[in-house]
Amino acid sequence: MKIEREIKNDHLARIEGKAGVVVEIGDEIRARINVTEGPRFFEILTKEKNYEEAAAICPRICSFCSIPHKLTPLEAIENALDVEVTEQTKLLRQMLYFGNMVESHALHLYLFAIPDYLGYHDALSMAKEYPDLMKNGMDLKNFGAMVQNIIGSREIHPENAVVGGFGKLPEQHEIEKIKKMAYNVIDAAVATVEFFLDYEYPSYVNLERNHLAIKPHNGYGVYGDEIVASDGFYFSVDKYKEYIEEDIAPYSFAKRGKYKGEPFMVGALSRIVNNHNLLEGKAKELLNSHSEFVKAENSFSNNFCQALEIVYFIEKIAEMAENIKIRKEERVKPDKKDGKGYAVTEAPRGLLIYEVEIENDIIKYMNVITPTAMFLPMMEIDARNMAEGMWKNGYKDIDLIGKKVEMVIRAYDPCISCSVHVIRL
Amino acid sequence: MKLRIGIHGLTSCYGCQLRMASVRELLEVAENFEIAYWYMVSSKGEISHVDIAFVEGSVSTAKDEEELKKIRENADVLVAVGSCAIYGGVQGMLFGKEYEEIFKEVYGDNKIEFEGRIGEPLKKYVKVDYNLPGCPPEEEEIIYYLATFAIGSYPEEKDYPVCTECRRKGYPCVLIEKNEPCLGPLTVAGCDARCPGYNVACIGCRGPLPHGIAWFDSLAKTFKEKGMSKEYIKARMEIFGKQYEKMDEMIEKVFEDED
Repeated sequence: MKIEREIKNDHLARIEGKAGVVVEIGDEIRARINVTEGPRFFEILTKEKNYEEAAAICPRICSFCSIPHKLTPLEAIENALDVEVTEQTKLLRQMLYFGNMVESHALHLYLFAIPDYLGYHDALSMAKEYPDLMKNGMDLKNFGAMVQNIIGSREIHPENAVVGGFGKLPEQHEIEKIKKMAYNVIDAAVATVEFFLDYEYPSYVNLERNHLAIKPHNGYGVYGDEIVASDGFYFSVDKYKEYIEEDIAPYSFAKRGKYKGEPFMVGALSRIVNNHNLLEGKAKELLNSHSEFVKAENSFSNNFCQALEIVYFIEKIAEMAENIKIRKEERVKPDKKDGKGYAVTEAPRGLLIYEVEIENDIIKYMNVITPTAMFLPMMEIDARNMAEGMWKNGYKDIDLIGKKVEMVIRAYDPCISCSVHVIRL
Repeated sequence: MKLRIGIHGLTSCYGCQLRMASVRELLEVAENFEIAYWYMVSSKGEISHVDIAFVEGSVSTAKDEEELKKIRENADVLVAVGSCAIYGGVQGMLFGKEYEEIFKEVYGDNKIEFEGRIGEPLKKYVKVDYNLPGCPPEEEEIIYYLATFAIGSYPEEKDYPVCTECRRKGYPCVLIEKNEPCLGPLTVAGCDARCPGYNVACIGCRGPLPHGIAWFDSLAKTFKEKGMSKEYIKARMEIFGKQYEKMDEMIEKVFEDED
């Protein structure tokens, strides 16, 4: 193909990790996402390690989702060793997880995505003219961080979450602090949703697609054993290899997911598409008033859905903090030393699957499938369609097309480090 | 005049940059510097001359090496940020293995057009002026480093172990009192012994003590006396210490003596 024009960006800014994008415009239009982040081979790093050490290594896959990369392997290990954690542990882990959701979404929206909407290179310069907006973002980020600091010991790589429970339980007065702060930031969360009401989604990326999400154990939660798809199909996590496959492209250190052989989407939009009936409170009200902003066929919708989720998770954290009375209890120690276990949770960017095999307390096999690896092919299609739509509609400014292509990619909130943790074939 | 700084990530979890981007009062802190490049946060700027460059991550691809060299050539001072940049990070555990074999185990016979490597610390490729340790670094340390540079001074690196801070905090000793494999004695302080404070044994995430004073042999001997196997001790100590000079040797020695 003769290439007439080319858009090339070796290093996409304002995303987690290192990736580039190339769009070639000729008789047809092609796009590819080059994933240049180096491979780190986590499944080899965790092999032959005791499960406690392995669970401490996993969060290093990605800082933005280090809580999911701790809590999901813990769940897989506990499933393998038949460890039943207490109700209190389950509640605290959910709060911890929700705290991560709030922080991750707030960072993504305010630091990475919103500067595009307002025409800035970064949040730092944007903050000068939109100080109130940026304060909302920072307040939400700080709230999520506080929840993770109190329950997980820190916001990045939480060492306090361990197999069978926690090293140390939070104090009741710290839970009170979480509750108080949650009520303080809820307005900032609602304002975040309202921000996106001023923007229409570019129709060039409209395309029917499958959305996969967890079937939560309770509420609009992040834990479950089954995965539901928007085509009506559902399957249990231990069957994940039958329905989710990954292939390799020569321009990507990350593997690329397919559901039943087709590109698909996971993340906030996919969760809302599949589980919107489970939303409660203000998030539900906001969704009902602005349901036209949830467009299953348009990935730009993901930003609105992330904002909606911030509202939901803050209200949920407040509710849990209201009800929980911390009582002293010990970690549950496993009786078994061998087993095979699976776990799936909803990380901020979508489904996260862990599989482990343990022999005599040692990890013999670990497989991880991350959300970004799952949605990479779909993201590539949307990037291409954005470029094609603009080009065919008379836009000839390559820089402008490039910017819009970047916005498509950012809408997915890709986590490149996650995608290149690298799993076994 | 404001100092011109650059912040960059090589192969990593991006946690050090995230920690830098999420310090309290980030906007006020940023006011004191001119940020020449920070891809994670801004789409403006590119690698160019700076007074101080902060680099996180390990060198794990040919592209990483190329970028690091360009950063070094254009920086008066280069700071290695975090365990990956200082010791190779958890991916540095593969040191000593053949990249091609590991690649094959994961990607099969597929070809990828970018050149990968076993992760190594920055100092293997360029001169590093300062280390800012942590996985990720603590907020106070980030502010301390930035502040000392901003007033025309230089940061002093800690050279004492986590135990020092743990004693000062008055936490029960996880190693002696609970017989857990705490790596506090080997690990550079700065975290205020957070994990022992949570009843969790230190995993060594901040990396071994600088200047060759991390005594893997003494601690391995203590672990051995508590009944831990050589394999277990190695597997735990190598997570953040694999590329520390003589780590393997020091652990082997403890077991050879008794054989």
